[in-house]
Amino acid sequence: MTAPAPTPTGTGTPTATPSPTPSGTGQVQALQAGLAAEHAVIWGYGVVGAHAGDALLAQVRDADDAHRTLRDETVALVARYGGSSVATEPEYALPFPVTDRGSALRLAVHLEDGAAAAWRYAVAATDDVAVRRAALVALSDAAVRATRWRLALHTTPATVPFPGD
Amino acid sequence: MVAVARRSVLIGGAVGAGLLAAGCTAGGPSGRAPTTPAPPDPLLAELADERRLIAGYDATIERHPGLRARLTAVRDDHAAHAAALVTALGPAAPPSPTTPAPTDSPTASTGASPTASPTTSSTASSTASSGASPGAASSTGIESSGAGTGIPATPAAAVAALRAAERAAAAARGTVALTAPPDRARLLAGISASEASHVAVLA
Repeated sequence: MTAPAPTPTGTGTPTATPSPTPSGTGQVQALQAGLAAEHAVIWGYGVVGAHAGDALLAQVRDADDAHRTLRDETVALVARYGGSSVATEPEYALPFPVTDRGSALRLAVHLEDGAAAAWRYAVAATDDVAVRRAALVALSDAAVRATRWRLALHTTPATVPFPGD
Repeated sequence: MVAVARRSVLIGGAVGAGLLAAGCTAGGPSGRAPTTPAPPDPLLAELADERRLIAGYDATIERHPGLRARLTAVRDDHAAHAAALVTALGPAAPPSPTTPAPTDSPTASTGASPTASPTTSSTASSTASSGASPGAASSTGIESSGAGTGIPATPAAAVAALRAAERAAAAARGTVALTAPPDRARLLAGISASEASHVAVLA
């Protein structure tokens, strides 16, 4: 609740207007939904990394890095819109036991699907174009990563018509 | 057309004012009504684009049967996209002239550029072109594959063409989603993300 992250919004964007509603509505609520999902996903990738095996470690690290970057950007965006970021939970429940490479990859798919759902919700939860654009990018990136994990799992089909459904 | 215009105005949120203005200009002075009707529902261009993509996949599979296993699931995603767009359009949806059914190989030749776009936006060609600029960009990439003869000769090149078409489609859908009403934004965002993931499958 305390927006622990250093929120000097140093992310470059000139619109550092901390006014509550610069142009649209629902930005903070939309961003918080995405941020809460990113917290969970980052926690989950810790579990994935522990079981995915050396061959996939680089891919896991890339995904984890991408989510951490997105989290930081989202925290900054929440602050810019006058909100205080939702905090991460100390622990999250796993949807199924993760014990080996296969279950680790299935967890990765699950995490990305969850991120996609949150960001897709965020797209519709605000009419602010800047927030929508950020949510769209996050949604697409999550869908692409989910597909890459499905490819690694040899899951067919590797794509879905509506990621985040 | 009129039904389409009204519907857009009702649903169009922020864009509504602009549509209203356009509608007045068109309908009011009566005389020029047929030349400048209100802009068509923006989803029509997206639906036409999806149908071109489907035709492109069908033609590619026909030309390179070895790609069938790899492309069919992606093609089916697009069929789901088109069906969802038809649902979202409601009565404004065109009766699928360029049928997404795989039987379009004979008509694919004509389906190249003119087919899909004019179906519903016929009179609005000028207006539509501006509104559909992102779609138009994507269509160029798709058209070549949509026309049966335009499929690249090698499977690798054919897949590369589809990959480019998916990239353009994802961008087009995403652009429209930015300013669409919430329900439509959600739909278009999902389609856009799906198409982005297609690029990964076609890599």
